[in-house]
Formats: sequence, structure tokens, C-alpha cells
Amino acid sequence: MKCSDATMLIGAYADGEADRRLTRSVRQHLAACPRCAAKHDELAALRARIRTEVPRYVASSSLRASVLASIDAARRADPARVRISDRWRWLTGGALAGCAATMLAWFVGTTVIAYQENHDIAVEAVTSHVRATLGNHLIQVASSNQHTVKPWLSARLDYSPPVQDMEKEGFTLLGGRIDYLDQRAVATLVYRIRDHTIDVFVCPRAVRMPPSPMRTIRGINVAHASGAQMDWLAVSDVSSDVLGSFVQSLARGGATQ
Amino acid sequence: MSDASRFAQLCLPHLDSAYNLARWLTRDTQDAQDVVQDACVRALKYVGSLQGDDGRAWFLTIVRNAFYDWLARNRPAEVVHDDNDTVEAAADLVTPGPEQVAVRNAELRVLGDALAALPAQYREILVLRELEELSYKQIASIVDVPIGTVMSRLARARDMLQRSPVLYAIGGQTARSAP
Repeated sequence: MKCSDATMLIGAYADGEADRRLTRSVRQHLAACPRCAAKHDELAALRARIRTEVPRYVASSSLRASVLASIDAARRADPARVRISDRWRWLTGGALAGCAATMLAWFVGTTVIAYQENHDIAVEAVTSHVRATLGNHLIQVASSNQHTVKPWLSARLDYSPPVQDMEKEGFTLLGGRIDYLDQRAVATLVYRIRDHTIDVFVCPRAVRMPPSPMRTIRGINVAHASGAQMDWLAVSDVSSDVLGSFVQSLARGGATQ
Repeated sequence: MSDASRFAQLCLPHLDSAYNLARWLTRDTQDAQDVVQDACVRALKYVGSLQGDDGRAWFLTIVRNAFYDWLARNRPAEVVHDDNDTVEAAADLVTPGPEQVAVRNAELRVLGDALAALPAQYREILVLRELEELSYKQIASIVDVPIGTVMSRLARARDMLQRSPVLYAIGGQTARSAP
């Protein structure tokens, strides 16, 4: 690899966006070229500075309120009226057989979608996360002390979830709550890194877990890892590489507890 | 599902992301709120046509469009056409003038000032990558450029940030933290 090629690829490598082949060749080049290695270190330092020094702004409560009000206004203006008129046009325009076939396809389609949605634990976790964030009931027990959060959760569940201090890795424990996944109450830990909130569902391995370790649903990442006795499911809008390594280190730590 | 419910489900969870992007692009609290409100009105109207489930990238695309429309209405002189050559050329010409340095806010730290002083095309790409932590693919769809352009623009943006005159004008982090 030439230095002129490496300059741009170092960025992709540092961002976790390089594929396996590219990662290997950038690594080889960095080991052999002190100038590019210095560039890589400089880039890592810059990224660390951005993340600690540059604020991520959040919407004010007045902006949130006015957006909620416009949703309400749209709900009142919208209702079923428009849809009914559409359907009448369709009924009069289309042949009855076509209509029946469409209805059947629609029925089968929605049933399948509903079935998949209901049985997809990752979708359920995202829904719980969004509901908790919007409804402002993210945290029922607020404490950065694992020895406060753990007994609070254990007292309300039929198992005792491991609660870990991840401060050294940059994840601040904010507290926890009881939430529902797969029709059972599960421990939910709330961490924060930079200005992103992370929900971590911790449950005994009996609960069905998603087959893939990382997914993105509606722009929100869901990462899964298993320990000896427990499953960890982390949900957040933080980047997938950060979330993936976080949930894996939780699962490793939880296994030794 | 009604459009309002779809919006509440797919876009509303990303209101902070939307505001953060608008705030860095407009560099002003009130203007950012106006841009986000405009974006919400548009998103409510068009959410029915949203394909797939990446509400975040879709919503941020609308916020970005709302910003550039706002810019054309309010500060037409700052509009730069988004083909690569002119962006590169404009970037070389733009050094932060006194008015851009004056955008500086007491609570913002030096690196934030340097970011605020970058041209919008470079600011948005850094905000989407470093603060919103989006993937190259999501950024490419929001900014509507190929992934290769995301890579080169990001590299250039980081380079410009590192060499920003704002950092040197104020003396950098080390000099400032000295008593």
C-alpha cells in the first residue's frame, strides 16, 4: 500500500468501516510506516477530543412539546375519513375479484408481519426502549452504584441480574428499571456514554434471543451477547461498534461474577 | 397506521439527533428550532412514503434539506452548490472571518468553535459521524453522495479541523488551560 492511498483509508479503518481485507492491509502498512502510524495516532487523538469536548445538543422541552402538539393536530385532522374515500374509489374502480384477492393478500401479509413483529425480540426491545425514552420512565431506580441497583432489581424479579460498573470504559451507570420482554419482567440497566443512552436488558437464558449479534431497527442499534447464565441485549443510537464491544464486555464480566 | 402515528414511532425518537444536526448547521438555538419544526411538518406530510425502517437517516435527511432551504431564504450568500469541485474550491477560500469566530459561545470549548467555523459541508459530515455516530452508508444517504465521497470529505474535514485557525487564534487547549 502506498502512503497516498493510506491517508484516506486510515480514516475508514479508525471508523470501523474497513472490511477485513482492507483492515489487514492498513494494519500492515501502519506497522511498516511510522509517518502513517503517526497520522493514525493523530486521528485517534482528534476523535477522542471531539467526543469529550464538543457538545451534542439536545432538543429543549419546549421544542419537544410543540412537536408533540403538531402530531396531535395531525391526528385530529387526519382520521379515517381520507382512507375511507380512498377505499370507495378503489371499490368502484376495481373488479370485485381483484378486490377479494387483494383483501386476502393483505390479510395474509399483515398476519405474517404481525407474527414476525411479535416474535422478534429485537423489535420488542427497541419498542420498549422508545416507549421508556418518550414516556420519561427510563429509570425507576436512579443510582450510579451497582450495589444499590442490583438489590433493587433482584427484589422485584425471580432472578438476580449481574450489574457492572463500566465507568472505566466510559459508560456511566444511570440506574435501572423493570421492563417487559417476551412477556416476562426483565432487569433493564440504563447506561450513558457521551450523550447517548443505552438500555441493557439482562435476562436468564430461557428468554428467546435474536439470532444475529447486531441489528439496526428504525435507526436504533440492537446488540446481543450471551454469558454462562444470562443474555444481554443492548439498545441504543450509539454506533454499532461501540455498542457491540460494550455488550460483549458486559457478558464476559457477568460470566465471572 | 396513520401518518401521525408513523411519525411518532419512526421520527420522534430521533428528535435530539435532529436538533443536534440543526443546531450545528445553523449555529443558533432559535434558528435550529425553526429548522427542526419545519422538518417535522415535512416529515409528517411525507412519512407515508418512507421505505424501510431507518427513520433516523430519513428524518435527518429532511432536517438537512430544511436547513439548506432555510439557508437559501435567510443567508443566500452562504449557499454553496454541492458538487465536489465547488465544495473543494470554496473550502480553500473560506477562512473563518471575525463574524464566524464571533459565533463562539461562552459555554463552547475551543474545538467546538473550530467545528462551528468549518464550511457547512464539512461541519455536517463531522457532526453525523462523530456526534451522531452514523455509518458511512447512512451518511451517504443523508448527504446524497457516494460512500467514496463521504470518506474523502470526512478525511478533509478532520484535516481542516486539526489545522483550524480558530485553534491557533485562541492558543489551543494547552495554552488555555495554563493559569
